[in-house]
Amino acid sequence: MDLETFAKFVINVVAVVLVLNAAIALYGLLARPNLLKKIIALTIFSDSINSFAILIGFRLVKGFENPVPPVITSVPPSESYARWFLAKSVDPLPQALVLTAIVINLAVTAFLVALAIQIYRVSGTLDARTLAYEKARRGEER
Amino acid sequence: MLFLELVLCLVAALVSLVGTYLAIVEKDLLKAVVFSALQSTAYAFIYYLLMAPDIALVYIPVAVGLYPLLLVIAIRKCGRFEEV
Repeated sequence: MDLETFAKFVINVVAVVLVLNAAIALYGLLARPNLLKKIIALTIFSDSINSFAILIGFRLVKGFENPVPPVITSVPPSESYARWFLAKSVDPLPQALVLTAIVINLAVTAFLVALAIQIYRVSGTLDARTLAYEKARRGEER
Repeated sequence: MLFLELVLCLVAALVSLVGTYLAIVEKDLLKAVVFSALQSTAYAFIYYLLMAPDIALVYIPVAVGLYPLLLVIAIRKCGRFEEV
């Protein structure tokens, strides 16, 4: 197996693994009763989607050498450096988007954990089935 | 050395798959948080090997430090085991 075939094989395997991770996390998000387990599954799901965006930004450069990170190290860049950078750098746009998304996910997770603690204080359980049952029972009493 | 990088990427992807499965299946929430941190470490390796070192630098403190910290605080307050 030459390097090109192996590289394409590895990239495909990583893509399939990320989709599988997202599928397992989605199962945990929908089918697991505990709210904290749902929060863990939500973080895994969002991280899988972010990794998929990074994988889309990756590319194999000419000659199958290592690509370089999208960071310009000589400012201002000379023309030869700019050509070399253009030929070897990966796509910076998904990385910028993912950097924002990770920070937003942290804030969302902190908010959800605070909500879960408050739900536990009010109703004494974090089981989604019990919470739904209690809600239905209170609706009948009214 | 693209070959070595690709092999490491493959290993990190498989470790992340195992970590995700164990984190979702595990009944003990504290162990599930630890497996989730393992999966996050594998993702950080994947980010580094896919030429995104800035993402890896942000992702490691957030996903291995702050997520488990928040979840461990919540688990301390709300009980450790998931009823089935």
